[in-house]
Amino acid sequence: MPLLTLATFLPILGGLALMALPNRSARVAHGISIAVTGLVFLITLAIWSRGIVPGGFAQTEEIAWIPAIGAAYRLGLDGLSLPLVLLTSLLFFLSAIYSARISERAPSYVVLMLMLETAALGTFMALDGLLFYVFFEVSLVGMYFMIAGWGYEERQRAALMFFLYTLLGSLPLLLAIIGLYLSSGTFDMRVWIDAPPLTGLAAMLALIAMLFTFAVKIPAFPVHTWLPAAHVQAPTAGSVILAGVMLKFGTYGLVRFALQMTPEAFAQAGQVILAVGVVSALYGAFAALAQSDLKKMIAYTSVNHMGYVVIGVAVAALSIDPRIRVIALDGATLQMVSHGLVTGALFFLLGMLQDRAHSRDMGDFGGLLARVPWLGWAFILSAFASLGLPGLAHFPAEFQVFLATLNTAPWAIIAILAIVVTAGLYLRAIAAVFLGAENEKWAEMPDLDRREKLVIVPLLILTVLVGVAPGWLIDMIHTTMASLSF
Amino acid sequence: MGRELSFLIPELLLASAAMLMIVAEMARAARLVLVIGLAGLAAATLLTLPVLHADTTVFSGTYRIDSLSGWAKLILLPGTALALLMTRAEIAGQDREGSVYALICLVTLGALMLAGGGDMMLLVLGVVLTGLGSFALVAFPRDDAATEAAMKYLVFGAVTGSVMIYGLSFWFGGTGSTLFSDLGTLEGKPLIAIAGLVAVIIGLGYKAALVPFHFWAPDAYDGAPISIAAYLSVITKAAAFFAFAQVLRDLPPATGWPLVLALIAAATMTYGYLAALVQTNLVRLIAYSSVAQSGYFLMAVVALGASPLALPGIIVFAAAYAAMNLGAFAVVMVAGRNLEDLRGFGRRRPIVGVAMVIFLLSLTGIPPLFGFVGKVYLFTAAVEAGFLWLAVIGILNSVLALGVYLRIVVPMYQTGELETGAGTLPQRPLLAGVLTITALITLFMGAFAGLLPS
Repeated sequence: MPLLTLATFLPILGGLALMALPNRSARVAHGISIAVTGLVFLITLAIWSRGIVPGGFAQTEEIAWIPAIGAAYRLGLDGLSLPLVLLTSLLFFLSAIYSARISERAPSYVVLMLMLETAALGTFMALDGLLFYVFFEVSLVGMYFMIAGWGYEERQRAALMFFLYTLLGSLPLLLAIIGLYLSSGTFDMRVWIDAPPLTGLAAMLALIAMLFTFAVKIPAFPVHTWLPAAHVQAPTAGSVILAGVMLKFGTYGLVRFALQMTPEAFAQAGQVILAVGVVSALYGAFAALAQSDLKKMIAYTSVNHMGYVVIGVAVAALSIDPRIRVIALDGATLQMVSHGLVTGALFFLLGMLQDRAHSRDMGDFGGLLARVPWLGWAFILSAFASLGLPGLAHFPAEFQVFLATLNTAPWAIIAILAIVVTAGLYLRAIAAVFLGAENEKWAEMPDLDRREKLVIVPLLILTVLVGVAPGWLIDMIHTTMASLSF
Repeated sequence: MGRELSFLIPELLLASAAMLMIVAEMARAARLVLVIGLAGLAAATLLTLPVLHADTTVFSGTYRIDSLSGWAKLILLPGTALALLMTRAEIAGQDREGSVYALICLVTLGALMLAGGGDMMLLVLGVVLTGLGSFALVAFPRDDAATEAAMKYLVFGAVTGSVMIYGLSFWFGGTGSTLFSDLGTLEGKPLIAIAGLVAVIIGLGYKAALVPFHFWAPDAYDGAPISIAAYLSVITKAAAFFAFAQVLRDLPPATGWPLVLALIAAATMTYGYLAALVQTNLVRLIAYSSVAQSGYFLMAVVALGASPLALPGIIVFAAAYAAMNLGAFAVVMVAGRNLEDLRGFGRRRPIVGVAMVIFLLSLTGIPPLFGFVGKVYLFTAAVEAGFLWLAVIGILNSVLALGVYLRIVVPMYQTGELETGAGTLPQRPLLAGVLTITALITLFMGAFAGLLPS
């Protein structure tokens, strides 16, 4: 059975079915949303159980599309994409549960969410350059309407900025894809990976185009400026998807396209890319420190965490020791998953806080831990995970990245300073919101209800599980990374 | 002779349909005129299929029956049928209604000649036939705006047409023949080649609304009925690009025409979108956006001879452009002529609103819509022909395009009071049909692009 195709298109089919229904009440819409995303999650588990193979892609599915130009519908998986596919289906499922309280234009909201899930799964599984670009761009449209339609105060401006910025960002990738196509005669990404068709100046130009695209998406300093605006204005589930899934498009593309398809140029530019990663990691941490808006703060820590991924990939390209390369790539990929789990949880928790208080400014709160212990402890656990505490999800990832960095480019280890800064800013936020004198205003604040616990608990469990026993996940990633030749 | 005529069945059918329409119009049977027109177009479309893969010429090489002219028919004829339906929805019951339908079919006949012409005389004939009919179509409402627009259109057309004929005489003098296929002998006579080239660029550039020959377009579109604007912006424009392809295929690139056209393409797309950014009249906004789209169209013409994707690119983009531009104009017919009319439109008319979003995103070039596939062909052809800079400008303009089209989308979904008044027109079944067809093509044809020519 073509499970990959099924998982990819089931969400959009669910959305179409919803549009065709005569009764489109919020209840029905959310029911369909939860059922479909739940089913897709189960399908991705089945895909996981089918496994992947070392060296190359598994479970490929292929149908002719535009034979005249060598473009086809091609899907497949490896150890880089499978963890991200699982993360995507999980976060969409949880977002669907969380969003069940949205009553304003619920059917349109659900259709957009389902469209985004199709786009996200397709982006990670596409093995055709043109198809990848299609999914990659469709996600922009979906996110634009999500922010513009269901965001907060300044949503129109933020949505417009997001759309223009990321469209400008993604078009250079189209040029790079055209360049790869013209030099190979096909859009098959496997061909591009097995025998990188571009060399010399053309490869460097293609790499620059791709780096621009993915740097905007990651987002890396200095093209990160759309992120805080979009995150702050996006509805909660939008923020979760944006941070948990869509930022990974950038890092996934960095490995899949930039590193695998223009490896020589990537190695030549390795020091520059490494420097971008280091600056992003440090800048993100310091910028987060300066925020009093909690959502903006988390948004900037994303810049920091994704900076570590960039460092890991750059180190892998620079290193000549195959063992170190694998450690760096394992760490970078694991970091993508950890960030999705932890930041997803943090944005959910902030959404729950904002639903109650209609504020996200640290200064407005205080002493909430006694009032809402579930919310408080969940936030504290996620915050500790985010700052890289051993035993929680980010630690094994960042540890591997730093290990490889120390071995290959010792100067870049200054990025570790950012961990100190994030520790400081999270402790400050915890102190301001959950500890200290209780603010009378929130005396009536209710703790998490059952639905909210259902959303947050799986993420917390996984955060601990990946921190304590990351073996199952690293093995999956390692299968591919160990056989990667570039 | 019989063999030659058999290749011309679509043209002959359309010509006879147009004649019958004029007869029926004399009897003031507007509905009958429409039916004859639609039947003629449908029959001509179907009978194009058997000759689609032919590659020959008729009438001593002056008229080409090749894949370009075949696909042109498959785009122009159904496109004309959709435009007829839109026109019916707009002017039903008005005086002289039937003559509009007959004129539209005659103009399309001229468009087919442009698309298949392999000879300078046929090129001139096509330009004149499309031109004369179009002036009358624009002037149909008989008010000041329409009259002024038609006058402007006519004067512009007369001047550019004369210049073109004058310039073509240089080519005739240089080659001793009026056939395009003899243009290869101009190698080594750069001045003559350039004189004729300039003339063709002016003559067809006017039809295609390329900068700086576009000035008539916004006025003509705004003065004419909206459905006529849709027709002109799609059918006569696409025909001009098919004609460009027929002429320039045979002209030696050494004359430097690719670079000249690349500069015009860059200027056209940039100017079109910049001008569209400041419009408040929806028809003029879309008029300028279709000027910009001409610049993209021209990218494929630039790559002719240097990239095997150029010719399919012209065809694919023409099909996509026809669907999305006709659709966008059809929405304007429902919504009203001003941007303000659109406030809350997406909430009042959710399905038409979604259709408009699809058309506009496709015009921007967002995948997986049909317009995106067209642009992939265009960009790839341009890069392959060595015009990377043109592709980069095209890409930068796509961002500008998004800004232009979001100016339409954002007010459609603005919250707040839903104004009634303009744009609450009851949905006419004909228009609903046109919207459905164009939206489905725009939405799904990208996935079935494999059916299109290679």
